[in-house]
Amino acid sequence: MGLPKGRLFETVSDLFEKGGMGFSFENRKLMAKDATGTLNIFLVKNADLPTYVNYGIAGLGICGEDVIYESGYRFYKLLSFPFGSTKMCLAAKKGYTLEDSRKQVKVATKFPRFTRTYFHAQGIPVEIIKLNGSVELGPITGLAPYIVDLVETGSTLKANNLEIIEELADIQVYMIANPSYYKLHYQEINRLTEWIKKELG
Amino acid sequence: MNRKRTLLQIPQGTESVILEEAYIHRKITGRLGELYESWGYLPAQIPVIDFYDIYRPLLDEASAQKIYRLIDREGDLLMLRSDITMFLAKQTGLSITEEDLPVRVWYGDAILRHQELEDISKNEFFQTGIELIGKRGMPGDLEVLMLLAKTLETAGLKGSFIHIGSRALFESCFAQLSAEKKKKIGSRIINREPWIDLIDKDEDSIPDAAALLFQNLFQFIGDSSAYRDFCRENSENLPQEAAGNMLYIKTVIKELEEFLKGDNLRIDLSEIGTQPYYTGIVFQVYMDGLDSAIASGGRYDELLGSFGFDCPSVGFSLLQRKIEPFIGNPEELKPHKEIIHIDAGSFKEAYLQAEEERRKGKIPLL
Repeated sequence: MGLPKGRLFETVSDLFEKGGMGFSFENRKLMAKDATGTLNIFLVKNADLPTYVNYGIAGLGICGEDVIYESGYRFYKLLSFPFGSTKMCLAAKKGYTLEDSRKQVKVATKFPRFTRTYFHAQGIPVEIIKLNGSVELGPITGLAPYIVDLVETGSTLKANNLEIIEELADIQVYMIANPSYYKLHYQEINRLTEWIKKELG
Repeated sequence: MNRKRTLLQIPQGTESVILEEAYIHRKITGRLGELYESWGYLPAQIPVIDFYDIYRPLLDEASAQKIYRLIDREGDLLMLRSDITMFLAKQTGLSITEEDLPVRVWYGDAILRHQELEDISKNEFFQTGIELIGKRGMPGDLEVLMLLAKTLETAGLKGSFIHIGSRALFESCFAQLSAEKKKKIGSRIINREPWIDLIDKDEDSIPDAAALLFQNLFQFIGDSSAYRDFCRENSENLPQEAAGNMLYIKTVIKELEEFLKGDNLRIDLSEIGTQPYYTGIVFQVYMDGLDSAIASGGRYDELLGSFGFDCPSVGFSLLQRKIEPFIGNPEELKPHKEIIHIDAGSFKEAYLQAEEERRKGKIPLL
């Protein structure tokens, strides 16, 4: 199972610990086994997790729909978690609206695939500027008037004088499986899924 | 990147195989060909290019986007061979008659379609397979499935599993829905996602209880014993045709288990066919260590009819390049004859010495 570095890792780690399947990574290692020896777990960068699952290196993974969709790969979504959910939003400087752009919309984002699909579905031509982080700088520096990004509390937007123009999608956290891996290990995976559901209450 | 560097790469969707790797590849193809010929299958070699328009109605959007197209001198749109079953169906449909049936063909050929850069490692460049044309129903399905099992055994592919499902079961549950809605539900079933939200109670005439039953049905995956229990619990609540299709799968498995160990056979009702032309039983093969299916197949009773020769067919294809690294005992596929270097005075002497060494079973290099 691949797990993403960051806040999601802490929450998942606590969940597994409470259920008796705790794990820890020694001395900056990136691989560990859980306490029961059932799972081989490794830590990966969030955006890379779908890649590891797609190639079957990790049969399972836990990550947000944002990176799943952005990867373009096909997975089984086995269960959704009640934590870690956010919203994908279109944001801009306060007082700005979509009507302020006459021709095509220029958007800075970490999620070009999602952004392209969304605007094309609306029939709006879009120029996408791919960024890897601190997307809020886009409108502040004049790189792009709009951004598409994940928003939790909205405090980062507010602090940079930006606001949400539109909520585009709810983004949940899922446990995903490589389809081939699932078909070969469906019994063990179903047992693990049921165990997690029980731990989540 | 300058133009020369660009041209030194290979276009996406094809590969180069040379020397020892190519030798092993041809040996495996030859070995599988011998197996198929021992079952009465004769080889077929089909064109690499054909007219695009005749295949377009048979392609889904995703497949159509991957096809390499070109224009010929008369301005007609052509396509490169992206799927052997379709190309073979057209060629056999044009060249066989009722009197020839059943016809058994095998093939080992490259397929040429665009793949994303990241997908090059999927190794979907060469298919080996068989098509049984003109043998209807269970006898045909059983022959092809047994031959598939023999193929896996011949290739020494330990840890492979055949997952059997049914397109006919899917069609019998959703017969009254529009093609568009069936396609959406089918996509969700293949991805093991819930699909009940797609059902419009008024428009689609599927009551809630039936929808729940179908949702449960297409989630089933298990061995023959679990499937028998599942049938006992569920088939009497299904429409008659759907119950009949479930019984058909049960009977197929029972027949196969007379000869195969059941532990590499599974019934997986989320398998409803990877191609839009399937009409009956469908199956895919999965193997530990590989990220996607290594073989797929099924019954397609209407495909040849698209090309003017109405005839039932069933077959499978194996992604040979994908499984070559896993072939049991690769050492026995390598050249075993002793290679020796000839070091003689004149060319004549060297040549005669080389001929002598060849008679002794060695491989002399001049």
